[in-house]
Amino acid sequence: MQTWDLQLPIYQQLADLLAAGLLDGDPAEGEPMPSVRSLAGQYLLNPLTVNRALQALGDEGLLETRRGLGMYVRPGARQRLRDLERDRFLNDEWPRLRQRLRRLGLGPRDLNWEDVQ
Amino acid sequence: MNDALVEARQLTLRYGSKVAVDDVSFSIPKGRVVGLLGHNGAGKTTLMKAMVGLCGGAGSLQVLGMDPRRQRVPLLQHVCYIPDVAVLPRWARVGELITLMSGLHPAFSAERARTLLKRTSVRLSDKVKTLSKGMVVQAHLALVAAIDARLMILDEPTLGLDVISRKAFYEMLIDEWCDGERSVVISTHQVEEIETLVSDVMMLNEGRLALSISLEDIDKRFVALGHDATVAADMAAAHPLLRYRVQGGSAALFDGEPPASVQALGRRIRPSLVDLFIALTRAPEAERTQF
Repeated sequence: MQTWDLQLPIYQQLADLLAAGLLDGDPAEGEPMPSVRSLAGQYLLNPLTVNRALQALGDEGLLETRRGLGMYVRPGARQRLRDLERDRFLNDEWPRLRQRLRRLGLGPRDLNWEDVQ
Repeated sequence: MNDALVEARQLTLRYGSKVAVDDVSFSIPKGRVVGLLGHNGAGKTTLMKAMVGLCGGAGSLQVLGMDPRRQRVPLLQHVCYIPDVAVLPRWARVGELITLMSGLHPAFSAERARTLLKRTSVRLSDKVKTLSKGMVVQAHLALVAAIDARLMILDEPTLGLDVISRKAFYEMLIDEWCDGERSVVISTHQVEEIETLVSDVMMLNEGRLALSISLEDIDKRFVALGHDATVAADMAAAHPLLRYRVQGGSAALFDGEPPASVQALGRRIRPSLVDLFIALTRAPEAERTQF
């Protein structure tokens, strides 16, 4: 069974899981999302929780509701997700990383910028 | 009239001379999955029996706007129930049970039962006695879920099943029953497993309702702080409901916002249902041995 950690609300964890899928093109832009019921069955979640997760992705501009048809992946969703991830990195992770680099006395030249084989 | 499917007001139920359910009030709206939690003898089975008119008591209980004791027959056309002692006749074939149900229950759909059974590995020609425990429970769920009811009551349906069978059972329940209109009340000891499944929980502690809350409100009302061992004494001094171990340290659970001084010492984590259950159905922290 899918396990959920204690850090975030479950709907948020499901939203992250679905967002990771969207980044990989699953489902692709313009394609329908699986139904609430099938996601609920697949992850053994209450349908209300699934709804909340889809709602959160909709609020981030990744999904759109088509009347009577359900939720679809919005055109440009992958780019939007990448932008969101970049913002998150630049605003949340980078300041913390920079602080740590400073504390360790590391500069750009100390870092390997090439791919590690 | 409100549109609650179940409405209990100051309900007290006796089991022989013992008070099994003590002055509980709650309501269950439509479209909910309610987990009924409690230790053995907490009153879960008695409360479920009362909802289908199998035992009476003081106070008021309305199910689908009816009195389960006086209007049992019309009520049972819209409520389905798997008691904790449920058995299917061992000698019968599954197909015969469908024929039997078609004759017994006006809202039963044989076609729907057959569709539901296709999800499982149970065949219509199978005799009940040849089925595994997990298959029997799935067949039973298929039979009751084929009743076009508004409320389903399940008393420890997954007791004694292995993890695969439990998963299959819950999958069928979510997929085939939960449609946003119908509700289900399900009692179980496997609190971890139903945590993500339910929309609401009711916790019974020695017949009293210790908590009746939606999962969404749990996150708003209860605060769990993960913390290092070094601040354990400060955490304990703030009188949490419960202190417990989590991966990478300890945690303290508070009903409402903990004092600001303590909040700074830990980081917020998601309060788990199991920890909440332990906290609310045991003696207060002060009376227990420290760990």
